Amino acid sequence: MGRYNNRRRTMLSWAVMKDGRALWTMNAVPKRAVYGESLRSFSGTEFRRWDPSRSKLGAAIMRTRRDPSWLLPEEGTDVLYLGAGHGTSISHLHDHLCGQHNDLKGRLVAVDLAPRCLRELTHMAKSRPGLVPVLGDARKHAAWGVLLPRKVDWLFQDVAQAGQVDIFIAACRRFLNRDGTGLLSLKAASERWTGEGEEALFDAVEYKLATSGFEVEERIELTGYEDNHVLFAVRKME
Amino acid sequence: MWLWYDWRAAAIADDHGSILDDEQWDGFHDQRTIVERLECIAAGGLTPEAMLLLERFPEAKPRVHGEPDLPDADWPLPDEEAQEAADQAAIAMATMGVAQAAGDPDRRLEHLMRASDEMRSTFITMEARLVEWVGLFLPEARFGQDRSSLGKTVSQAESLEHLSQTLGVSLPPVGPDKPEWKALKEWGQSVSVFRGQLDRLENGIRHLSEQHLPSLSALLGPLLAARLCVEAHGRMRLARLPAGTVQVLGAEKAFFNHLKTGAPPPKHGHIFMHPWISRSPRWVRGKISRTVAAKASIAAKIDAFEGEPWGEEEMRELEQKVEDIREAYPSPPSRRG
Repeated sequence: MGRYNNRRRTMLSWAVMKDGRALWTMNAVPKRAVYGESLRSFSGTEFRRWDPSRSKLGAAIMRTRRDPSWLLPEEGTDVLYLGAGHGTSISHLHDHLCGQHNDLKGRLVAVDLAPRCLRELTHMAKSRPGLVPVLGDARKHAAWGVLLPRKVDWLFQDVAQAGQVDIFIAACRRFLNRDGTGLLSLKAASERWTGEGEEALFDAVEYKLATSGFEVEERIELTGYEDNHVLFAVRKME
Repeated sequence: MWLWYDWRAAAIADDHGSILDDEQWDGFHDQRTIVERLECIAAGGLTPEAMLLLERFPEAKPRVHGEPDLPDADWPLPDEEAQEAADQAAIAMATMGVAQAAGDPDRRLEHLMRASDEMRSTFITMEARLVEWVGLFLPEARFGQDRSSLGKTVSQAESLEHLSQTLGVSLPPVGPDKPEWKALKEWGQSVSVFRGQLDRLENGIRHLSEQHLPSLSALLGPLLAARLCVEAHGRMRLARLPAGTVQVLGAEKAFFNHLKTGAPPPKHGHIFMHPWISRSPRWVRGKISRTVAAKASIAAKIDAFEGEPWGEEEMRELEQKVEDIREAYPSPPSRRG
């Protein structure tokens, strides 16, 4: 008992907890794990372990040099998530954004191109109200844009296709509020190799973002959790 | 003047963003209609409300909600209830899209192909072991040509003695004890079961390939057609590949080695499986595989864009061409050049 040290535990939001080198989110669907993660009770509330090496958002929260809670959207708002993948990050984001039975009235629109990924998400959407999975191309706004009647304050993109930056800029222009937070997870291997190394590639992206009406607040290297990835956290200025 | 619309409402606004007219639809308790409307918008079409307003204001420029050139205005956005209905429709659409992907012949073909590859490699290993194993106990037995029925023979034999009689060889003094024989017999059973399974897998591939890639199957045979389609990651992608790529599909290692070190480029990839190439003399294989790949690439395009499929006739034509090439180069080129 005496070995418990509560001082290393911090709440990053009402539902997200950092416990030393682990992240936990309050489970919105108690007793159910989404992808085999461990469940544990902290003072009577069940939390799910958020594995940063399986989620770039989680990795960014671990790696950022600022107060990590600024990477999370405000709970109970609408957010857009492009490149949903298998729903690891999505499930934790949903814990934070919507809570049990979507009591917080959050909406998480999750777009992905691959039917294989959507299979997991449509399943998850049944038990997690507030999650809206969309099978579609992140570039084709017309197909799902009407699902976002208002602009959002938080947008995350993790698509592994060429031209990730342009997709991100176009999506932010259309769907992100001024002053909203945009997070772009960039995979070096998906961009055309310029022959000048990864750093040059990331520098070029940073420059492009900075000249397209964004302020690059932080460039978070995810090395260790996800190699050759960088997450850009930007604020929309115009 | 602008015509704004989303899946359940439409409105007309002037350039200063004041609303002149609007139309709203409240039948959103019917999920199917919402899905239809969302699909219509995704395809760039107008909703009934938008069409109505466009009739009233023909000069208005129609824009779907969220398009950047729309002026800011107090558009009639959906309330919570309507949004909830749209969300449910979106989930239904996603579920439907996932279900449709199950019917995708490219994915089905890929599973069949990979399954048959895995099955074949397992089968070959197991069959080789069976031959060695039986050969250990019955050193006189020879199964040069007749390997195919060995599994069945072993699984049907009562004992090693029985097996030696069936194979017509003498019984050596030492043999397996009872549990060992049982294991050997069961191994033989597995070999014969795997053989049957492998045949059925290939049948499945043939069947699907002839539906999905009729022209390419007619030209190259269904198995090779399926192989090319899977290696190209789908029929549409195969159709978009240049013939030169189709020719070396499956020879990636040699091809990239060629780009890297300047070694001679590969002449053929999977296409080598075809007897026109593998049974031709070495010095014409490159020429033939180029011709065949070019035709195969056209056939793949016909299949992908669902044109009039090729059949026997085109296959004969190509066969004739291949024959002409062979006749034109009857002997190897001289080494001196």
